[in-house]
Amino acid sequence: MSLLRLEALSKRFGEHWALKEIDFDLEEGEIVGLVGPNGAGKTTLFNLITGRHKPSSGRVWFEGKDITFYRPHEIQRYGISRTFQSSRPFARMRVLENVVVGRIFSGKFHLFPHTEDTNMARQLLELVGLAHKEDALAGELTLSERRRLDLARALATEPKLLLLDEVVAGFSPLAVKQAAELVQRARERGVTLFIVDHFMSLSLTVSDRLLALDHGEKIAEGKPQEVMRNRKVIRAYLGTRHDDEAQSAER
Amino acid sequence: MTREQPTSAPMKHLPLAHMVLLLGLAILLALPLLSGGNDYILQVFTHALLLAILALAWNILAISGSISLGHAAFFGVGAYTSGLLSLESGVSPWATIPLAGFAAAVIALGVWLFCRRLRGAYFALATLAFVEIPRVLTDNWDSLTRGSLGLVGLPGLPGLRLGPLYFDIGASSIGSYYFVLVFGLLLLATVTLILRSNLGLALQAIREEETAAASLGIRVQGYRLLALLLSALFSGITGACYAHLVHYIEPGMVYGLHFSAIPVIFAICGGRFTIVGPALAALVLYPLDQFVFHPLLPAGHEFLYGAVIVLAILFLPSGFWGQLRKGQFVSIKTGSIE
Repeated sequence: MSLLRLEALSKRFGEHWALKEIDFDLEEGEIVGLVGPNGAGKTTLFNLITGRHKPSSGRVWFEGKDITFYRPHEIQRYGISRTFQSSRPFARMRVLENVVVGRIFSGKFHLFPHTEDTNMARQLLELVGLAHKEDALAGELTLSERRRLDLARALATEPKLLLLDEVVAGFSPLAVKQAAELVQRARERGVTLFIVDHFMSLSLTVSDRLLALDHGEKIAEGKPQEVMRNRKVIRAYLGTRHDDEAQSAER
Repeated sequence: MTREQPTSAPMKHLPLAHMVLLLGLAILLALPLLSGGNDYILQVFTHALLLAILALAWNILAISGSISLGHAAFFGVGAYTSGLLSLESGVSPWATIPLAGFAAAVIALGVWLFCRRLRGAYFALATLAFVEIPRVLTDNWDSLTRGSLGLVGLPGLPGLRLGPLYFDIGASSIGSYYFVLVFGLLLLATVTLILRSNLGLALQAIREEETAAASLGIRVQGYRLLALLLSALFSGITGACYAHLVHYIEPGMVYGLHFSAIPVIFAICGGRFTIVGPALAALVLYPLDQFVFHPLLPAGHEFLYGAVIVLAILFLPSGFWGQLRKGQFVSIKTGSIE
Protein backbone atom coordinates (compact mmCIF):
# COMPACT_ATOMS: atom_id res chain seq x y z
CA MET A 1 0.00 0.00 0.00
CA SER A 2 1.39 3.34 -0.94
CA LEU A 3 1.54 6.11 1.62
CA LEU A 4 -0.26 8.65 -0.53
CA ARG A 5 -2.41 7.82 -3.53
CA LEU A 6 -3.90 10.39 -5.84
CA GLU A 7 -6.72 9.02 -7.92
CA ALA A 8 -7.92 10.93 -11.01
CA LEU A 9 -7.60 14.14 -9.04
CA SER A 10 -9.04 17.21 -10.79
CA LYS A 11 -9.61 20.80 -9.80
CA ARG A 12 -11.51 23.37 -11.81
CA PHE A 13 -11.53 27.08 -11.07
CA GLY A 14 -14.45 28.46 -13.10
CA GLU A 15 -13.75 27.41 -16.69
CA HIS A 16 -10.10 26.77 -16.05
CA TRP A 17 -8.84 23.28 -15.23
CA ALA A 18 -6.00 23.78 -12.76
CA LEU A 19 -5.50 20.02 -12.51
CA LYS A 20 -6.80 17.29 -14.76
CA GLU A 21 -7.07 13.62 -13.81
CA ILE A 22 -3.85 13.28 -11.86
CA ASP A 23 -2.96 9.73 -10.82
CA PHE A 24 0.09 9.27 -8.66
CA ASP A 25 1.40 7.02 -5.90
CA LEU A 26 3.93 8.01 -3.27
CA GLU A 27 5.71 5.26 -1.34
CA GLU A 28 6.83 5.51 2.24
CA GLY A 29 10.38 6.83 2.67
CA GLU A 30 10.57 8.33 -0.80
CA ILE A 31 11.58 11.82 -1.77
CA VAL A 32 9.58 12.91 -4.78
CA GLY A 33 10.02 16.18 -6.61
CA LEU A 34 7.01 17.89 -8.14
CA VAL A 35 8.19 19.99 -11.06
CA GLY A 36 6.66 22.06 -13.81
CA PRO A 37 6.57 25.63 -15.13
CA ASN A 38 4.52 28.44 -13.58
CA GLY A 39 0.83 27.66 -13.50
CA ALA A 40 1.37 23.94 -13.94
CA GLY A 41 -0.76 23.22 -10.87
CA LYS A 42 1.93 22.26 -8.36
CA THR A 43 0.68 24.36 -5.46
CA THR A 44 -2.92 23.51 -6.32
CA LEU A 45 -2.04 19.84 -5.98
CA PHE A 46 -0.59 20.54 -2.52
CA ASN A 47 -3.71 22.49 -1.57
CA LEU A 48 -5.88 19.53 -2.57
CA ILE A 49 -3.81 17.07 -0.57
CA THR A 50 -3.82 19.25 2.55
CA GLY A 51 -7.52 20.05 2.34
CA ARG A 52 -7.17 23.75 1.67
CA HIS A 53 -9.11 23.28 -1.54
CA LYS A 54 -11.66 20.60 -2.30
CA PRO A 55 -11.13 18.72 -5.57
CA SER A 56 -13.73 18.96 -8.33
CA SER A 57 -13.42 15.21 -8.75
CA GLY A 58 -11.08 12.39 -7.80
CA ARG A 59 -9.83 11.07 -4.50
CA VAL A 60 -6.89 11.44 -2.10
CA TRP A 61 -5.92 8.35 -0.11
CA PHE A 62 -3.49 8.45 2.78
CA GLU A 63 -2.41 5.16 4.38
CA GLY A 64 -5.42 3.55 2.75
CA LYS A 65 -7.86 6.12 4.15
CA ASP A 66 -9.94 8.39 1.98
CA ILE A 67 -9.04 11.89 3.24
CA THR A 68 -10.38 13.80 0.23
CA PHE A 69 -12.91 15.93 2.07
CA TYR A 70 -11.24 16.24 5.44
CA ARG A 71 -10.46 19.69 6.76
CA PRO A 72 -6.86 20.98 6.94
CA HIS A 73 -6.37 20.48 10.69
CA GLU A 74 -7.81 16.94 10.47
CA ILE A 75 -5.52 16.03 7.60
CA GLN A 76 -2.57 17.37 9.57
CA ARG A 77 -3.49 15.15 12.50
CA TYR A 78 -3.36 12.11 10.21
CA GLY A 79 0.27 13.01 9.57
CA ILE A 80 0.56 15.38 6.61
CA SER A 81 2.32 18.70 7.19
CA ARG A 82 3.37 21.35 4.76
CA THR A 83 5.32 24.54 4.27
CA PHE A 84 4.13 27.43 2.16
CA GLN A 85 5.44 28.98 -1.01
CA SER A 86 5.35 32.42 0.60
CA SER A 87 6.51 31.45 4.05
CA ARG A 88 3.94 32.13 6.73
CA PRO A 89 5.60 32.65 10.10
CA PHE A 90 3.64 33.70 13.20
CA ALA A 91 5.29 37.08 12.91
CA ARG A 92 4.64 38.56 16.34
CA MET A 93 5.61 35.39 18.17
CA ARG A 94 9.09 34.29 19.04
CA VAL A 95 10.97 31.86 16.85
CA LEU A 96 10.92 29.20 19.57
CA GLU A 97 7.20 29.70 20.14
CA ASN A 98 6.56 29.27 16.43
CA VAL A 99 8.03 25.81 16.63
CA VAL A 100 6.34 24.96 19.95
CA VAL A 101 2.97 25.69 18.28
CA GLY A 102 3.75 22.76 16.01
CA ARG A 103 4.00 20.54 19.09
CA ILE A 104 0.62 21.44 20.60
CA PHE A 105 -1.45 18.95 18.66
CA SER A 106 1.08 16.32 17.82
CA GLY A 107 0.27 13.57 20.23
CA LYS A 108 -1.80 14.07 23.33
CA PHE A 109 -3.02 17.57 24.03
CA HIS A 110 -1.53 19.17 27.13
CA LEU A 111 -2.84 22.38 28.58
CA PHE A 112 0.64 23.77 29.15
CA PRO A 113 3.75 23.39 26.98
CA HIS A 114 5.92 20.59 28.34
CA THR A 115 9.66 20.87 28.72
CA GLU A 116 10.03 18.01 26.23
CA ASP A 117 8.13 20.07 23.68
CA THR A 118 10.37 23.09 24.20
CA ASN A 119 13.46 20.88 24.08
CA MET A 120 12.37 19.22 20.86
CA ALA A 121 11.63 22.65 19.39
CA ARG A 122 15.16 23.73 20.31
CA GLN A 123 16.62 20.63 18.68
CA LEU A 124 14.73 21.37 15.50
CA LEU A 125 15.96 24.96 15.52
CA GLU A 126 19.44 23.53 15.89
CA LEU A 127 18.78 21.26 12.93
CA VAL A 128 17.75 24.12 10.65
CA GLY A 129 20.46 26.41 12.00
CA LEU A 130 18.23 28.89 13.82
CA ALA A 131 19.16 28.03 17.41
CA HIS A 132 20.78 31.42 17.93
CA LYS A 133 17.55 33.18 16.92
CA GLU A 134 15.11 31.47 19.24
CA ASP A 135 14.25 34.70 21.05
CA ALA A 136 13.84 36.81 17.93
CA LEU A 137 10.39 37.64 16.65
CA ALA A 138 9.64 35.51 13.62
CA GLY A 139 8.67 38.61 11.64
CA GLU A 140 12.24 39.89 11.89
CA LEU A 141 13.80 36.91 10.12
CA THR A 142 15.20 37.00 6.61
CA LEU A 143 13.54 35.08 3.81
CA SER A 144 15.84 32.10 4.05
CA GLU A 145 15.52 32.03 7.84
CA ARG A 146 11.73 32.12 7.54
CA ARG A 147 11.74 29.16 5.19
CA ARG A 148 13.92 27.23 7.61
CA LEU A 149 11.58 28.20 10.45
CA ASP A 150 8.65 26.94 8.35
CA LEU A 151 10.49 23.67 7.97
CA ALA A 152 11.28 23.33 11.68
CA ARG A 153 7.66 24.14 12.54
CA ALA A 154 6.35 21.52 10.14
CA LEU A 155 8.83 18.92 11.42
CA ALA A 156 7.72 19.67 14.98
CA THR A 157 4.39 18.03 14.20
CA GLU A 158 6.27 14.79 13.48
CA PRO A 159 4.60 14.27 10.12
CA LYS A 160 4.66 11.05 8.14
CA LEU A 161 4.47 13.04 4.93
CA LEU A 162 5.90 16.51 4.51
CA LEU A 163 5.02 18.72 1.56
CA LEU A 164 7.60 21.39 0.84
CA ASP A 165 6.44 24.19 -1.42
CA GLU A 166 9.32 26.02 -3.11
CA VAL A 167 11.64 25.93 -0.11
CA VAL A 168 14.66 27.01 -2.10
CA ALA A 169 13.23 29.57 -4.53
CA GLY A 170 15.60 32.50 -4.62
CA PHE A 171 18.31 30.66 -2.71
CA SER A 172 22.01 30.81 -3.58
CA PRO A 173 23.62 27.56 -4.77
CA LEU A 174 25.24 27.17 -1.37
CA ALA A 175 21.91 27.62 0.41
CA VAL A 176 20.34 25.07 -1.92
CA LYS A 177 23.06 22.61 -0.96
CA GLN A 178 22.36 23.19 2.72
CA ALA A 179 18.65 22.74 2.09
CA ALA A 180 19.36 19.45 0.34
CA GLU A 181 21.20 18.24 3.44
CA LEU A 182 18.23 19.29 5.57
CA VAL A 183 15.87 17.33 3.37
CA GLN A 184 18.08 14.27 3.67
CA ARG A 185 18.14 14.62 7.42
CA ALA A 186 14.36 14.94 7.46
CA ARG A 187 14.17 11.65 5.57
CA GLU A 188 16.47 10.07 8.13
CA ARG A 189 13.88 11.03 10.73
CA GLY A 190 11.43 8.82 8.87
CA VAL A 191 9.62 11.51 6.91
CA THR A 192 8.44 10.98 3.37
CA LEU A 193 8.88 14.12 1.30
CA PHE A 194 7.03 15.65 -1.60
CA ILE A 195 8.84 18.73 -2.88
CA VAL A 196 7.57 21.42 -5.21
CA ASP A 197 10.55 22.83 -6.99
CA HIS A 198 10.07 24.97 -10.05
CA PHE A 199 13.73 25.22 -10.98
CA MET A 200 14.56 21.62 -10.02
CA SER A 201 17.66 22.89 -8.23
CA LEU A 202 16.78 20.92 -5.12
CA SER A 203 14.72 18.05 -6.47
CA LEU A 204 17.31 16.96 -9.03
CA THR A 205 19.87 16.24 -6.34
CA VAL A 206 17.72 14.75 -3.61
CA SER A 207 14.70 13.17 -5.30
CA ASP A 208 14.22 9.48 -5.96
CA ARG A 209 11.56 10.30 -8.48
CA LEU A 210 10.06 13.32 -10.22
CA LEU A 211 6.49 14.07 -11.15
CA ALA A 212 6.20 16.67 -13.90
CA LEU A 213 3.07 18.71 -14.52
CA ASP A 214 2.17 21.17 -17.24
CA HIS A 215 -1.12 23.01 -17.60
CA GLY A 216 -2.64 20.79 -14.95
CA GLU A 217 -1.73 17.53 -16.62
CA LYS A 218 0.81 14.92 -15.75
CA ILE A 219 3.42 14.95 -18.52
CA ALA A 220 6.04 12.68 -17.02
CA GLU A 221 7.07 10.68 -13.98
CA GLY A 222 10.08 8.60 -13.16
CA LYS A 223 13.79 8.83 -12.37
CA PRO A 224 15.01 12.44 -12.29
CA GLN A 225 17.40 12.01 -15.24
CA GLU A 226 14.73 10.36 -17.37
CA VAL A 227 12.19 13.05 -16.62
CA MET A 228 14.78 15.71 -17.39
CA ARG A 229 15.32 14.22 -20.85
CA ASN A 230 11.63 13.84 -21.49
CA ARG A 231 10.66 15.81 -24.58
CA LYS A 232 7.41 17.07 -23.10
CA VAL A 233 9.18 18.33 -20.01
CA ILE A 234 11.80 20.15 -22.05
CA ARG A 235 9.08 21.66 -24.18
CA ALA A 236 7.09 22.75 -21.14
CA TYR A 237 10.08 24.54 -19.68
CA LEU A 238 11.80 25.87 -22.77
CA GLY A 239 9.06 26.06 -25.38
CA THR A 240 9.27 24.53 -28.84
CA ARG A 241 11.83 25.13 -31.55
CA HIS A 242 10.99 25.18 -35.23
CA ASP A 243 12.57 21.81 -35.92
CA ASP A 244 10.85 20.46 -32.82
CA GLU A 245 7.50 21.46 -34.22
CA ALA A 246 8.37 19.91 -37.54
CA GLN A 247 9.23 16.67 -35.75
CA SER A 248 6.04 16.61 -33.77
CA ALA A 249 4.08 17.33 -36.94
CA GLU A 250 5.68 14.28 -38.54
CA ARG A 251 4.57 12.06 -35.65
CA MET B 1 21.73 19.47 27.96
CA THR B 2 19.39 22.38 27.62
CA ARG B 3 21.00 25.73 27.39
CA GLU B 4 18.95 27.63 29.94
CA GLN B 5 21.02 30.73 29.43
CA PRO B 6 19.78 33.96 30.95
CA THR B 7 18.20 35.89 28.14
CA SER B 8 20.08 39.12 28.24
CA ALA B 9 18.23 41.69 26.19
CA PRO B 10 14.64 41.03 27.33
CA MET B 11 15.64 40.69 30.98
CA LYS B 12 16.78 44.30 31.11
CA HIS B 13 13.21 45.50 30.67
CA LEU B 14 11.64 43.22 33.22
CA PRO B 15 12.51 45.04 36.46
CA LEU B 16 11.02 48.35 35.33
CA ALA B 17 7.82 46.71 34.14
CA HIS B 18 7.54 44.66 37.31
CA MET B 19 8.15 47.73 39.43
CA VAL B 20 5.34 49.56 37.66
CA LEU B 21 3.05 46.58 38.24
CA LEU B 22 3.91 46.26 41.91
CA LEU B 23 3.56 49.99 42.49
CA GLY B 24 0.20 49.97 40.73
CA LEU B 25 -0.99 47.06 42.81
CA ALA B 26 0.15 48.73 46.03
CA ILE B 27 -1.69 51.92 45.13
CA LEU B 28 -4.85 49.98 44.32
CA LEU B 29 -4.70 48.01 47.58
CA ALA B 30 -4.09 51.10 49.69
CA LEU B 31 -6.47 53.36 47.82
CA PRO B 32 -9.18 53.50 50.53
CA LEU B 33 -6.51 54.82 52.91
CA LEU B 34 -4.93 57.14 50.36
CA SER B 35 -8.27 58.63 49.41
CA GLY B 36 -8.99 59.52 53.02
CA GLY B 37 -12.40 57.90 52.88
CA ASN B 38 -13.51 60.06 49.97
CA ASP B 39 -16.44 58.17 48.44
CA TYR B 40 -16.23 59.87 45.05
CA ILE B 41 -12.60 58.82 44.51
CA LEU B 42 -13.45 55.26 45.46
CA GLN B 43 -16.46 55.18 43.15
CA VAL B 44 -14.42 56.46 40.21
CA PHE B 45 -11.79 53.80 40.79
CA THR B 46 -14.44 51.11 41.23
CA HIS B 47 -15.79 52.06 37.82
CA ALA B 48 -12.27 52.21 36.38
CA LEU B 49 -11.66 48.69 37.68
CA LEU B 50 -14.87 47.47 36.05
CA LEU B 51 -13.73 48.97 32.76
CA ALA B 52 -10.31 47.38 33.24
CA ILE B 53 -12.03 44.01 33.72
CA LEU B 54 -14.11 44.56 30.60
CA ALA B 55 -10.90 45.38 28.70
CA LEU B 56 -9.27 42.19 30.01
CA ALA B 57 -12.25 40.14 28.85
CA TRP B 58 -12.34 41.89 25.49
CA ASN B 59 -8.66 41.15 25.02
CA ILE B 60 -9.21 37.38 25.19
CA LEU B 61 -10.97 37.67 21.86
CA ALA B 62 -8.53 40.24 20.49
CA ILE B 63 -5.54 38.00 21.26
CA SER B 64 -7.07 35.50 18.85
CA GLY B 65 -7.20 38.20 16.18
CA SER B 66 -10.88 39.15 16.20
CA ILE B 67 -11.52 42.79 17.09
CA SER B 68 -14.99 43.29 18.52
CA LEU B 69 -16.71 46.68 18.37
CA GLY B 70 -19.79 45.26 20.04
CA HIS B 71 -18.91 44.05 23.49
CA ALA B 72 -21.73 46.21 24.88
CA ALA B 73 -24.01 43.41 23.65
CA PHE B 74 -22.47 40.98 26.16
CA PHE B 75 -22.13 43.61 28.87
CA GLY B 76 -25.75 44.73 28.46
CA VAL B 77 -27.23 41.25 28.28
CA GLY B 78 -25.27 40.35 31.39
CA ALA B 79 -26.52 43.44 33.22
CA TYR B 80 -30.13 42.84 32.21
CA THR B 81 -30.12 39.10 32.89
CA SER B 82 -28.83 39.49 36.41
CA GLY B 83 -30.90 42.63 37.06
CA LEU B 84 -34.19 41.11 35.92
CA LEU B 85 -33.66 37.75 37.62
CA SER B 86 -32.81 39.33 40.95
CA LEU B 87 -35.63 41.88 40.71
CA GLU B 88 -38.39 39.52 39.58
CA SER B 89 -37.52 36.42 41.54
CA GLY B 90 -35.65 37.86 44.49
CA VAL B 91 -32.78 35.44 43.95
CA SER B 92 -29.46 36.57 45.40
CA PRO B 93 -27.20 38.37 42.92
CA TRP B 94 -24.51 35.80 43.74
CA ALA B 95 -26.65 33.28 41.85
CA THR B 96 -27.76 35.56 39.04
CA ILE B 97 -24.32 36.96 38.20
CA PRO B 98 -22.95 33.64 36.89
CA LEU B 99 -26.21 33.10 35.00
CA ALA B 100 -25.64 36.50 33.41
CA GLY B 101 -22.29 35.27 32.17
CA PHE B 102 -23.92 32.26 30.54
CA ALA B 103 -26.62 34.44 28.99
CA ALA B 104 -23.89 36.57 27.42
CA ALA B 105 -22.21 33.42 26.11
CA VAL B 106 -25.50 32.40 24.50
CA ILE B 107 -25.64 35.79 22.79
CA ALA B 108 -22.06 35.16 21.65
CA LEU B 109 -23.28 31.97 19.98
CA GLY B 110 -25.69 34.18 18.05
CA VAL B 111 -22.84 36.46 17.01
CA TRP B 112 -20.87 33.39 15.94
CA LEU B 113 -23.75 32.10 13.84
CA PHE B 114 -23.69 35.24 11.71
CA CYS B 115 -20.05 36.29 11.88
CA ARG B 116 -18.01 33.12 11.94
CA ARG B 117 -16.86 33.47 8.37
CA LEU B 118 -15.84 37.10 8.83
CA ARG B 119 -12.37 38.33 9.66
CA GLY B 120 -10.70 41.61 10.50
CA ALA B 121 -12.65 44.78 9.74
CA TYR B 122 -15.64 42.79 8.47
CA PHE B 123 -15.95 40.96 11.76
CA ALA B 124 -15.53 44.21 13.70
CA LEU B 125 -18.27 46.00 11.74
CA ALA B 126 -20.63 43.05 12.05
CA THR B 127 -20.24 43.04 15.83
CA LEU B 128 -20.84 46.79 15.88
CA ALA B 129 -24.15 46.20 14.08
CA PHE B 130 -25.03 43.16 16.17
CA VAL B 131 -25.30 45.21 19.39
CA GLU B 132 -28.46 46.74 17.98
CA ILE B 133 -30.32 43.41 18.19
CA PRO B 134 -30.28 42.97 21.98
CA ARG B 135 -30.59 46.73 22.46
CA VAL B 136 -33.75 47.06 20.34
CA LEU B 137 -35.22 43.91 21.88
CA THR B 138 -34.59 45.16 25.40
CA ASP B 139 -35.86 48.59 24.55
CA ASN B 140 -39.17 47.37 23.11
CA TRP B 141 -40.04 44.15 24.89
CA ASP B 142 -41.77 46.13 27.65
CA SER B 143 -43.52 43.21 29.31
CA LEU B 144 -40.24 41.41 29.96
CA THR B 145 -37.62 44.11 30.26
CA ARG B 146 -39.70 47.19 31.28
CA GLY B 147 -38.46 48.78 28.06
CA SER B 148 -36.75 52.12 27.99
CA LEU B 149 -37.73 52.83 31.60
CA GLY B 150 -34.84 50.67 32.61
CA LEU B 151 -34.51 48.75 35.84
CA VAL B 152 -34.64 50.83 39.00
CA GLY B 153 -33.78 49.81 42.51
CA LEU B 154 -31.65 46.81 41.71
CA PRO B 155 -30.48 44.94 44.79
CA GLY B 156 -26.89 45.63 45.77
CA LEU B 157 -24.32 42.92 46.31
CA PRO B 158 -25.06 41.15 49.60
CA GLY B 159 -22.32 40.74 52.17
CA LEU B 160 -20.27 37.58 52.14
CA ARG B 161 -19.57 35.50 55.23
CA LEU B 162 -16.46 33.34 55.10
CA GLY B 163 -16.11 31.63 58.46
CA PRO B 164 -15.52 34.29 61.07
CA LEU B 165 -14.94 36.97 58.43
CA TYR B 166 -17.75 39.08 57.15
CA PHE B 167 -17.28 41.13 53.98
CA ASP B 168 -19.73 43.97 53.72
CA ILE B 169 -19.71 44.41 49.95
CA GLY B 170 -22.75 46.31 48.83
CA ALA B 171 -23.24 48.61 51.79
CA SER B 172 -20.11 50.74 51.53
CA SER B 173 -17.93 52.17 48.81
CA ILE B 174 -14.90 50.49 50.36
CA GLY B 175 -16.60 47.09 50.30
CA SER B 176 -17.65 47.49 46.65
CA TYR B 177 -14.20 48.72 45.72
CA TYR B 178 -12.40 45.74 47.23
CA PHE B 179 -14.90 43.33 45.74
CA VAL B 180 -14.26 44.63 42.23
CA LEU B 181 -10.51 44.71 42.86
CA VAL B 182 -10.48 41.06 43.95
CA PHE B 183 -12.65 40.09 40.99
CA GLY B 184 -10.25 41.92 38.70
CA LEU B 185 -7.19 40.20 40.14
CA LEU B 186 -8.86 36.79 39.86
CA LEU B 187 -9.77 37.47 36.24
CA LEU B 188 -6.24 38.68 35.54
CA ALA B 189 -4.88 35.42 36.93
CA THR B 190 -7.38 33.42 34.87
CA VAL B 191 -6.64 35.27 31.64
CA THR B 192 -2.91 34.96 32.27
CA LEU B 193 -3.23 31.20 32.73
CA ILE B 194 -5.35 30.87 29.60
CA LEU B 195 -3.01 32.89 27.45
CA ARG B 196 0.17 31.27 28.72
CA SER B 197 -1.23 27.80 28.12
CA ASN B 198 -1.13 25.96 24.83
CA LEU B 199 -4.59 27.38 24.22
CA GLY B 200 -3.11 30.87 24.29
CA LEU B 201 -0.35 29.86 21.90
CA ALA B 202 -2.94 28.44 19.53
CA LEU B 203 -5.03 31.64 19.71
CA GLN B 204 -1.99 33.78 18.91
CA ALA B 205 -1.00 31.49 16.06
CA ILE B 206 -4.49 31.87 14.61
CA ARG B 207 -4.18 35.65 14.90
CA GLU B 208 -0.85 35.70 13.13
CA GLU B 209 -1.44 33.17 10.34
CA GLU B 210 -4.65 31.25 10.17
CA THR B 211 -3.68 29.02 7.26
CA ALA B 212 -0.38 28.05 8.82
CA ALA B 213 -2.11 27.42 12.15
CA ALA B 214 -4.54 25.01 10.50
CA SER B 215 -1.66 23.27 8.74
CA LEU B 216 -0.18 22.59 12.18
CA GLY B 217 -3.34 20.85 13.31
CA ILE B 218 -5.05 23.75 15.07
CA ARG B 219 -8.82 23.64 14.76
CA VAL B 220 -9.11 27.30 13.81
CA GLN B 221 -12.86 27.82 13.98
CA GLY B 222 -13.21 25.89 17.21
CA TYR B 223 -10.62 28.04 18.93
CA ARG B 224 -12.02 31.28 17.56
CA LEU B 225 -15.41 30.29 18.98
CA LEU B 226 -13.88 29.34 22.33
CA ALA B 227 -12.17 32.73 22.60
CA LEU B 228 -15.44 34.49 21.77
CA LEU B 229 -17.39 32.48 24.36
CA LEU B 230 -14.85 33.06 27.13
CA SER B 231 -14.67 36.74 26.31
CA ALA B 232 -18.47 37.07 26.31
CA LEU B 233 -18.82 35.07 29.53
CA PHE B 234 -16.52 37.39 31.46
CA SER B 235 -18.01 40.50 29.84
CA GLY B 236 -21.50 39.37 30.88
CA ILE B 237 -20.36 38.83 34.46
CA THR B 238 -18.81 42.30 34.42
CA GLY B 239 -22.08 43.80 33.18
CA ALA B 240 -23.97 42.03 35.96
CA CYS B 241 -21.59 43.36 38.62
CA TYR B 242 -22.01 46.82 37.16
CA ALA B 243 -25.81 46.54 37.40
CA HIS B 244 -25.72 45.60 41.08
CA LEU B 245 -23.14 48.24 41.91
CA VAL B 246 -25.01 51.18 40.37
CA HIS B 247 -28.53 49.83 41.15
CA TYR B 248 -29.97 51.29 37.96
CA ILE B 249 -29.65 50.33 34.29
CA GLU B 250 -31.37 51.30 31.06
CA PRO B 251 -30.92 50.03 27.49
CA GLY B 252 -29.24 53.15 26.11
CA MET B 253 -26.69 53.00 28.87
CA VAL B 254 -25.57 49.36 29.08
CA TYR B 255 -25.84 48.75 25.32
CA GLY B 256 -24.30 52.14 24.56
CA LEU B 257 -21.30 52.81 22.38
CA HIS B 258 -19.38 53.63 25.57
CA PHE B 259 -19.01 49.99 26.62
CA SER B 260 -18.26 48.84 23.07
CA ALA B 261 -15.65 51.47 22.31
CA ILE B 262 -13.87 51.75 25.62
CA PRO B 263 -12.12 48.35 25.57
CA VAL B 264 -10.81 49.16 22.09
CA ILE B 265 -9.51 52.54 23.24
CA PHE B 266 -7.80 51.02 26.26
CA ALA B 267 -6.31 48.22 24.20
CA ILE B 268 -4.87 50.64 21.64
CA CYS B 269 -3.36 52.82 24.36
CA GLY B 270 -2.20 50.04 26.64
CA GLY B 271 -1.05 47.52 24.07
CA ARG B 272 -3.20 45.04 22.21
CA PHE B 273 -0.75 42.18 22.34
CA THR B 274 -0.18 42.31 26.06
CA ILE B 275 -2.31 40.97 28.89
CA VAL B 276 -2.29 43.80 31.41
CA GLY B 277 -1.81 46.70 29.00
CA PRO B 278 -5.51 47.33 28.30
CA ALA B 279 -6.41 47.02 31.99
CA LEU B 280 -3.64 49.42 33.02
CA ALA B 281 -4.84 51.93 30.44
CA ALA B 282 -8.32 51.76 31.96
CA LEU B 283 -6.95 52.46 35.44
CA VAL B 284 -4.98 55.47 34.22
CA LEU B 285 -7.26 57.00 31.59
CA TYR B 286 -10.66 56.75 33.25
CA PRO B 287 -9.61 58.48 36.50
CA LEU B 288 -7.70 61.04 34.43
CA ASP B 289 -10.89 61.70 32.50
CA GLN B 290 -13.05 61.97 35.63
CA PHE B 291 -10.73 63.93 37.90
CA VAL B 292 -8.99 66.25 35.45
CA PHE B 293 -10.84 66.61 32.18
CA HIS B 294 -14.41 66.39 33.45
CA PRO B 295 -14.10 69.43 35.74
CA LEU B 296 -12.23 71.36 33.03
CA LEU B 297 -14.51 70.53 30.13
CA PRO B 298 -17.82 69.23 31.43
CA ALA B 299 -19.34 69.02 27.94
CA GLY B 300 -16.46 67.56 26.01
CA HIS B 301 -14.28 65.74 28.47
CA GLU B 302 -14.36 62.53 26.45
CA PHE B 303 -12.20 64.20 23.82
CA LEU B 304 -9.42 62.72 25.96
CA TYR B 305 -10.14 59.27 24.56
CA GLY B 306 -9.98 60.47 20.97
CA ALA B 307 -6.78 62.36 21.67
CA VAL B 308 -4.99 59.45 23.32
CA ILE B 309 -5.93 57.14 20.42
CA VAL B 310 -4.37 59.58 17.95
CA LEU B 311 -1.29 59.99 20.12
CA ALA B 312 -0.90 56.27 20.68
CA ILE B 313 -1.24 55.44 16.99
CA LEU B 314 1.24 58.15 16.00
CA PHE B 315 3.87 57.65 18.68
CA LEU B 316 3.29 54.33 20.48
CA PRO B 317 1.81 51.92 17.98
CA SER B 318 2.30 48.98 20.31
CA GLY B 319 0.70 50.83 23.21
CA PHE B 320 2.51 52.23 26.24
CA TRP B 321 2.71 48.87 27.95
CA GLY B 322 3.76 47.15 24.73
CA GLN B 323 6.44 49.81 24.34
CA LEU B 324 7.68 49.34 27.88
CA ARG B 325 7.80 45.60 27.33
CA LYS B 326 9.72 46.15 24.07
CA GLY B 327 8.17 43.26 22.25
CA GLN B 328 7.75 41.13 25.36
CA PHE B 329 4.37 39.88 24.29
CA VAL B 330 2.60 37.02 25.93
CA SER B 331 5.56 34.73 26.19
CA ILE B 332 6.09 31.20 27.35
CA LYS B 333 9.81 31.74 27.33
CA THR B 334 10.31 34.54 29.77
CA GLY B 335 7.52 33.48 32.05
CA SER B 336 6.29 37.05 32.14
CA ILE B 337 2.65 37.59 32.97
CA GLU B 338 2.42 40.69 30.85
